[in-house]
Amino acid sequence: MPSPVARDKGRKRLPLEGIRILDFTVVWAGPYATQLLAEWGAEIIRVESTKFFPSTTRGMIARTTKQMVEASGLGGGFPDRDPGARPWNRGALFNAHGRNKLSMTVDLTQPDGQEVLEELVRISDGLIENNAVATMDRVGVSWERLSKVNPGLVMVRMPAFGLSGPYKSYRTFGSHMESVVGHYSVFGYPGEDPSSSGTSLAADPAAGVGGALAFAAGLRQRRRTGKGLQIELSTAENFSTHLGEYVMDYTMNGRLHEYVGDRDSVAAPQGVYRCAGDDRWIAVTVGTEEEWSSFCEVMGRPDLPGDQRFATVEDRHANHDLLDEAITAWTRDRDPVETMNVLQAAGVRAGAVMNEQDAFADPQLADRAYWEELSHPEAGMHLHPGVVWRAERTPNRLERAAPRLGEDNEYVYRELLGFSDNRYARFEELGHIGMDYDESIP
Amino acid sequence: MSEMTSSLLPLSGVRVLDLTWHAAGPFATRLLADYGAEVIKVERPGTGDPIRQMAPFYKDEPGLERSGLFMSLNTNKKSITLNLKSEQGREMALGLVEKVDVVVENFAPRVLRGLRLDYGALSARNPGVVMTSISNFGQSGPYRDWGGSDLTLYAMGGPMLNTGHVDREPLKVAGRIPSYHVGATAASATAIALLAAEESGEGDHIDLSFFETWMGAIDRRTTNLLGYQYSGHISTRPAVGQMLGSGIWPCMDGFFFTTLVAPRFPAMARMIGAEHLVDNPNWSTPAARANPDRVDEFAALAIGWFIERTRSEIRDEVDKFGIYGGPINSIEDFVTNEHFLARQFFQEIDHPTTGPITYPGYSFRITSEVSEKTQPEGPRRRAPLLGEHTDEVLENLLDMDVDEVAKLRKEGAV
Repeated sequence: MPSPVARDKGRKRLPLEGIRILDFTVVWAGPYATQLLAEWGAEIIRVESTKFFPSTTRGMIARTTKQMVEASGLGGGFPDRDPGARPWNRGALFNAHGRNKLSMTVDLTQPDGQEVLEELVRISDGLIENNAVATMDRVGVSWERLSKVNPGLVMVRMPAFGLSGPYKSYRTFGSHMESVVGHYSVFGYPGEDPSSSGTSLAADPAAGVGGALAFAAGLRQRRRTGKGLQIELSTAENFSTHLGEYVMDYTMNGRLHEYVGDRDSVAAPQGVYRCAGDDRWIAVTVGTEEEWSSFCEVMGRPDLPGDQRFATVEDRHANHDLLDEAITAWTRDRDPVETMNVLQAAGVRAGAVMNEQDAFADPQLADRAYWEELSHPEAGMHLHPGVVWRAERTPNRLERAAPRLGEDNEYVYRELLGFSDNRYARFEELGHIGMDYDESIP
Repeated sequence: MSEMTSSLLPLSGVRVLDLTWHAAGPFATRLLADYGAEVIKVERPGTGDPIRQMAPFYKDEPGLERSGLFMSLNTNKKSITLNLKSEQGREMALGLVEKVDVVVENFAPRVLRGLRLDYGALSARNPGVVMTSISNFGQSGPYRDWGGSDLTLYAMGGPMLNTGHVDREPLKVAGRIPSYHVGATAASATAIALLAAEESGEGDHIDLSFFETWMGAIDRRTTNLLGYQYSGHISTRPAVGQMLGSGIWPCMDGFFFTTLVAPRFPAMARMIGAEHLVDNPNWSTPAARANPDRVDEFAALAIGWFIERTRSEIRDEVDKFGIYGGPINSIEDFVTNEHFLARQFFQEIDHPTTGPITYPGYSFRITSEVSEKTQPEGPRRRAPLLGEHTDEVLENLLDMDVDEVAKLRKEGAV
């Protein structure tokens, strides 16, 4: 039985083909790392359990009802807004990143589950996880133990605050890690307090690509030394590097920044302006004098460049509020996508704040064949965002939709671990192997 | 980083020709340099990377060797100056291509084609080279030559419509976060492609689009895009306080941010002294708590509890009760935070302009061998001065002698 994520025969090998990774990831940061590695050929085996539902991974809770979807006001998320009989297989939250991955189930709190863990580690190249430290301690996932089982293991651990230090036990999502490292002190509307900033979750994708880089680096290290290794990526530390200049301004000059909204410290005007329709906006950055005069011309305001209040970039910064009014007077009755095209044609940097409909209708993404269709047995056929980066000489595309819970148990237990019919049947009876969550899980 | 520690790092032995500028490209090559690659940054003679002229400057005085932004983005690299528009400069660049494993660039797509330094030209000189091109919209398509900024590209590709207050304009994440993320993505792409190239001897050309990188990033965007496919739902910014027990709460010395997941409801109720809710049928099930009135009722109870406590007191309580959350910290709070100090995250790096200054540390660390002796990552080397390594690199890699380099310098090629 070949791996269920079938790669075309005869095509060029993908960079990570032949690399098998055990995936203990939850929520977004870890799953994004394994999504990227799966796209480039690694065999990603999600190690899940029918006895445990990690919230915010295959949904907020296991048994989401139609009524909850309607009441939440969060809309979308399930095909036709219907969570169906197995909501954990139908949610966009999981299905968006699960593509190309496999799913197996095992109860690691049982001794025979622990045997399976060691059997899996023995036949794998890597392990990636991003859980609370105590969660991994509880199921016996540690470098000390697993490196003895497989000394060549490349283990990437991505806990929020790392494996050491006073915050080691703290439970957080990416947005809280951002608040701890200072992002919410520099991201917000001028004059407002942090409660109006809404939510940024940029630490999650940052940790995902950081984790993918860490794993690739670890593989190369293993190639060089013949030995496995543990790499530790604190998702808080990893994200804080994206705030480098704020840290440097503080350590060099003692300066703390205030909220600037969507404005820039150099270019002016820069902002996000209301367009016609509900929640429609366009972002504009005017940096050079050339951009400024083109922008005014397109707006039908040839008077502005000669206006003393806006003559230099310093003037435009000083009178930014006035400029914003003039710009909004022009954008307010316009379509954002059309306006983006008009401005870009005139050499002005502009971008519609794209909603989902804009994205799927976008000619650039269509021209680059960005969207890819995948068929999911319980969710149906849909378009998905394509691979995150392209390689000219390596064919790259998505192969399989997200796995249903336990979908690949047969492949993993029988094909990879060589389970006999008897042992497989016993594991089914014990609840290790299954495609439904235990009845005790709400 | 001494030669000895660098030989212990995962990317040691990898040489990178770095044709990047501004933020996204330099962050990509900085990450490669952090993990052992030898990165040779090519800068314009005279002025160098334009980021050298961008704030923050040490003591707020501009100067090519005074930008903290440049300094933090370019640690561990070497700098050489080459005029790629001159025939000699171009020939030297191609000579260097033969000596490297990786080339990273983030010019507008037309630039390297115009200089005849595109992937075709590079791979003709070195078929094994991995070239990573970072651009606003990719190397093809109707937007190929469009301009962009962190704001406009995040607006198009990122989850900007979901970021900020529902009654206000969408909000960009701070500073250059959009660019940094693209840089980190490029570094991961480059490392993965390098693994394949080293195995097969065949290089590749990575085409990474800023727009597509954010369109495919997991920060709400991909979930919402698939959600739209599933149900036609168009997402927006969530109303403040929409989720029960979640929000940015005012407290005694600032603000504290919590997110309540359903199974933790009893724990949070106990934490705020509302234990009586736990067994009340109006509260005890997720379905009951989905009633919008419950959100406001719970907030009224919670706010009284938060306002009487400091961030650090709340931090201890949420830890005790297992609630997801964190304080809203300033950059100063972060730099002086006990946890990151205990982990020795920050690094002090000396520089001729600034003297020793604190920088953010590594994105990740190898911790399987944790004794001081075997810890492979030492402190980083400071960012290079403009052209600091020109002589060294041209002499060592292109076998040029001092006089030749001096002559080319006079002619404006280096």
